[in-house]
Amino acid sequence: MKSPAFSYYQAKDLADAINIKKSDDDAVILAGGQSLLPTLNMRLSSPSVLIDIGSINELKKIKVEDSYLIMGAMCSHSQIMNNKEVNEKFPILNKLLAQVAHPAIRNKGTHGGSIAYGDPAAELPAFAVLVNAEIILSGPDGERTVSAKEFYKGLFETAINSDEILTSVKYPINQNGMKLFFDEVTRRHGDYAMAGLVGSIKQNNKINEEINLVFFGTGDRPNEAPKTCEYLLKNEYNYSDIKDTLKNDIDFASDISSSSDMKAHLSAILVGRMMKELN
Amino acid sequence: MDDLNQNPKLGAADRPNSYIGRSVPRERAKKLLEGKGKYVDDILLPRMAHLSYVRSPFAHAKIKSINTENAKKYPGVLNVFTIDDIEKVCSPWQGVLGHLGEMRSPTQYPLAKDIVRWQGEPVAVVVANKRAVAEDASELVEIDYEDLDAQLDMETAMDKSTRVIHDDLGNNLFWTRTVNQGDVGEAFKQSHIVEEVTLDFARHTGVTLETRAIVADWDSSEEKMTVYHNGQAPHMMQSIIAKHLNLSEGLVRIISCDVGGSFGIKVHVYPDEMVTVAVSKLMKRPVKFVADRLESYSTDIHSRCHKILGKIGVNDKGKILAFEIDDLSGIGPFSVYPRTSAIETNQVLNLSAASYIIPNYKAKGTVVFQNKTPMCQYRAVGHPIAVAITEALVDKAANALGMDRYEFRKINLIPDNSYPTKTPSGVPLEDLSHEACIEKLEKMMNISQLEKYKKESLAKGKYKGFSIINMVEVTNPSPAFYGVGGAPISSQDGASIRLEGSGAVHISTSITEQGQGTEAVMQQIAADQLGVKIDTVRVTHGDTDATPYGGGTWASRGAGIGGEAVLKASRKLKENILNIAAVIMQSEVNNLDVQNDQVIRKDGGEGISLKDLAQIVYYRGHELPPGTNAELIATASFSIEGIPFVFTNSAMGCLVDVDVDTGLTKIEKFWAVEDCGTQINPKLVEEQIRGGVVQGIGGALYEECIYDEMGNLTNGNMADYLVPMAYEMPDIIVDHVTTNSGRSILGAKGAGEAGTGGAPGAIMNAINDALIPLNTEVTSQPITPEKVLKALGKI
Repeated sequence: MKSPAFSYYQAKDLADAINIKKSDDDAVILAGGQSLLPTLNMRLSSPSVLIDIGSINELKKIKVEDSYLIMGAMCSHSQIMNNKEVNEKFPILNKLLAQVAHPAIRNKGTHGGSIAYGDPAAELPAFAVLVNAEIILSGPDGERTVSAKEFYKGLFETAINSDEILTSVKYPINQNGMKLFFDEVTRRHGDYAMAGLVGSIKQNNKINEEINLVFFGTGDRPNEAPKTCEYLLKNEYNYSDIKDTLKNDIDFASDISSSSDMKAHLSAILVGRMMKELN
Repeated sequence: MDDLNQNPKLGAADRPNSYIGRSVPRERAKKLLEGKGKYVDDILLPRMAHLSYVRSPFAHAKIKSINTENAKKYPGVLNVFTIDDIEKVCSPWQGVLGHLGEMRSPTQYPLAKDIVRWQGEPVAVVVANKRAVAEDASELVEIDYEDLDAQLDMETAMDKSTRVIHDDLGNNLFWTRTVNQGDVGEAFKQSHIVEEVTLDFARHTGVTLETRAIVADWDSSEEKMTVYHNGQAPHMMQSIIAKHLNLSEGLVRIISCDVGGSFGIKVHVYPDEMVTVAVSKLMKRPVKFVADRLESYSTDIHSRCHKILGKIGVNDKGKILAFEIDDLSGIGPFSVYPRTSAIETNQVLNLSAASYIIPNYKAKGTVVFQNKTPMCQYRAVGHPIAVAITEALVDKAANALGMDRYEFRKINLIPDNSYPTKTPSGVPLEDLSHEACIEKLEKMMNISQLEKYKKESLAKGKYKGFSIINMVEVTNPSPAFYGVGGAPISSQDGASIRLEGSGAVHISTSITEQGQGTEAVMQQIAADQLGVKIDTVRVTHGDTDATPYGGGTWASRGAGIGGEAVLKASRKLKENILNIAAVIMQSEVNNLDVQNDQVIRKDGGEGISLKDLAQIVYYRGHELPPGTNAELIATASFSIEGIPFVFTNSAMGCLVDVDVDTGLTKIEKFWAVEDCGTQINPKLVEEQIRGGVVQGIGGALYEECIYDEMGNLTNGNMADYLVPMAYEMPDIIVDHVTTNSGRSILGAKGAGEAGTGGAPGAIMNAINDALIPLNTEVTSQPITPEKVLKALGKI
């Protein structure tokens, strides 16, 4: 398990990184390396050059600007968990990140890396979709913004063009009175979830006005479940109905940890937990 | 030689240097924690080349051609070898032994010859200046395969339509054995209650922190082969390498440095390791092979893989009348050399029901070939299967009779005052303490409190269950284990101990250190017996040029056998020391003793330090009267005689919570009472038990080598092959009963197998106890959430 030979380039700044990326289709951005380096060592990919963006300081900032909480791509999970602003604005992120692998991995793994990699079993992409995050991509022609809902195209497929770098993720602070929920079912703490849910509910006088559900570990990308949300606005939670509706919403894909049936079951259980917690 | 007056009671806490029985901190732990351990991969030799193996991507295929030309041309590559080259210097082997009836396993070549029989089998080896280069070039070795049907499922192995893996054998049977004591048929007829169950155990593997690694260094000038190897049995490897490479055995040196865990994984002969030695011989230079994690998963021996049917018959008073098992196991395409792949099943037959008085016992074991990774002995060989089937049936019988599970066990356990006796399968037992252990366990667990907790939880919709199990554990084997069958595996171990001119004491032992504290234990025994401070004692191990001959470390034999050799050698050395001191000090020997590195006079008066004594002997020998026997070195050996194994026993229990929504099992608490005889270092014993329990939890809940329908291992990485991790581990509470082994002065038995052997049964029974109100059960390990939910009919 030694990776094939590759070049290493430490980018001085963002423009420098974009230049190199533009000039070489086989170049790959190295952020925290927690997913990339194992795939190299297992010879699942063989990039020509790794562009290390780890010394670009502007990518390591957490800012509040124009009612957005903005996470630089190179913020580590640990840094975010320890940030006062984040814990005030999105306390749920701390709970969620605590389930991302283990401390050593959270110290190296980055926010931008997780969002950009788009692992369907990862927590952060689902969270970004749920709260309508905006994903900022920088390329040779400047910056563009893609809504998280439009960002994930398929299994490990995203809207990032080959000459672009994900530089930050903007989270709208005002969630319109939405209450947020996160839970997942794993075999062991820190494992990829057999099924996970981030959800939100907006209530008026204890009446549910809006419900959003985004599942992870269930399909080829973060899975929204519009029919189930609609059902829940009209009906009380009922395990069997929810499981059936979820199967209409999501093409549950089995993986090594669980069958598609198991994933549908656990998703329905998670919805039940959410309705109990947020109602 | 043994003057008992000179040898105080073991573990007498009131005298100086009484290290036996004390949790002395081990100095090697500091070395390892500082990252200063020396492992095989740390070995760097001049001109050393690196190997990468080209492995079969198929479970079963014919090799039509191998083209190594492009790989050979790759910059940095030194050579590429196939079986045609290797078989010129390394002969093939056969994993059969003579003492357990007919074993049918064909010749196995160090690299695949004509046919590959498991995904991961080595086919060619690339030698290069760097491992990464060797891996690059491995991708350029072109092998043309013709796919053959793979025989994967052990249950269909003997079907007529199933592909026979070895044509010459006619079918896929490796080995079978039956045991028949009494008349089970008649006894079942007379039984008030008969209960049956079938249990499944998945394949899993050892997952050592340090993967297998070997450096071979052939010196053609001396005709000497030096091999750095992270194994458990250096002298066995010496003999095997000499035999198959046609070398003079005395000129093969095996050095085992620090070993990062072994669990039985590293006590077998692996094709890639033999090829590494052969390549060194062919290239006349040192070569290194370190298995990567992927290779570990697909080529380290796997274990378990059993389907076992069990049946118990009980009279209306709760006495067990009959017990029957029928076990099927799949072992991959070859029986592993030299220990064979029959031992696990043999142990299942020997150990099932072994804690109980059962007049009628019948057992059948069948071992078949498969196109999967070879399977062989791993920690607690056979125990988890034997314990789980026995204890599942015992619980079922007790529940069917409406008897308390603890009381049911108490009336059926072999009483503590009945030894020597035999297991229901006929294996001799002595010095065990089932009753004392289970009584202690019952108090520790507070069973009535647990019953209350279970009831209260159920009222809140929480499903809790607990278990109590009993087991015996095979440790300290005699020659009956392997040597009698023809394997070059010593059942004897040796120790040499010397007093040096500085006053330091140096032991060399044939027992090896795998991180479990061998060194510390040997230091304690020597310091205790000699009467020196423990930091006076150094230990050498793991080097066939520097240590006495012996078996090494496996089957929990290090402390009981190797420790006894150290004890005996220490007593001889002490006798020599006192005899010399008597001359120097003009005293009766009986008036002298050694304490705190000093020879003292028991009646007071001036003594002499061991350093001064040694310096008189070494530097100023002329001061001693002519003819004084001034040897400050002593050697002793020990092996178990008169009994096949020194059995130990334990009782365990656990409390679980089963989440009926997610199927997740949480182990809330685990208890173990172990009787391993004399505990040399109680902390090390307890950590052996805890570590073993954790590995047993792995087998029960997490670990499984998952194959697809083509015979590819699909989860050979640490993300998908789940090992137990700290976050999920419960408190494991350990206590002891001490019944010394009568086979040695030290009285120590082994302690390494119990946890791994007992935990899977304890966990399964606790889960099934929790599921009783839901009228279902689980019978397949690992007990995954999905299996629990299926049992509950939820998916």
